[in-house]
Amino acid sequence: MSGSAVEEPRHTAEMTARIRLVSGPMARPVLCRVVSMVLTRAEWPIDRLDDAMLACDALCAHAYDHASDGRITLEVCARDGTLELRVRELARDGAAALLRDARLPGVGNVLEHVAERLAIEPDEQSGGSQLVLVISSS
Amino acid sequence: MRPDIELALAARAENIAIVRHALGGLGDALAISPQKLDDIRIAVSEACANVVLHAYPPGSEGQMEISACTSEDELVVAVRDWGRGIRPRPDSPGLGLGLSMIAALAEEVQLGHDSEQHTEVRMTFSLNGSSRAKDGHGR
Repeated sequence: MSGSAVEEPRHTAEMTARIRLVSGPMARPVLCRVVSMVLTRAEWPIDRLDDAMLACDALCAHAYDHASDGRITLEVCARDGTLELRVRELARDGAAALLRDARLPGVGNVLEHVAERLAIEPDEQSGGSQLVLVISSS
Repeated sequence: MRPDIELALAARAENIAIVRHALGGLGDALAISPQKLDDIRIAVSEACANVVLHAYPPGSEGQMEISACTSEDELVVAVRDWGRGIRPRPDSPGLGLGLSMIAALAEEVQLGHDSEQHTEVRMTFSLNGSSRAKDGHGR
């Protein structure tokens, strides 16, 4: 043993990715693959990974309807057992509308079911709004 | 041309796998053939590996950005960094095959800087025709 400090494994370190998407059909396959890869590396249990995929599906299904400029930015940040998904470049009322669109008959609001925390915040860069979801691994 | 997709990540080796997965998603959305997608993945991975290995001084961490523009018959992927630029490196830890491989797999490669002076490797892939048509090594 050299006695040197043990380096923290990468998979427990903060992992962030920013994805900006213009065309609708690309959003779901690209976002779902990036998020699943990030969460797999963070050693999330399969049921919570599946929940996160549901949230991604719900976001991708409707986000473009509420984009301010025909494109959306998704920021993915995994750290300390949580995933923060930030959907940016939405129109002024777009984040609230996107949240409303996630409601399914007989199921309720998918995003409200899956996320531990949901927030609608102003997006200062675009002048519109952003939807923030925080999902926990446990 | 406004990109259809941009992906920004820390320039770490393990993030190249995320880029490869994202390209898989792009391949699904665009119905790119598996052989062509393999070529695209290899070339883009090489460009990203160059960023990870060479763009930033040892001990410092920077960003890499991958953008993709699509048209009816071609895909243009650009890999950018904010680092030291492309220059000869005699002490390179790699085999030095990266750019040659990219050139073999892509229809066109441009090395240089984008409009904001980021170092950029821009690769154009034809979405028509056979994989690796340039050198006749189709599988």
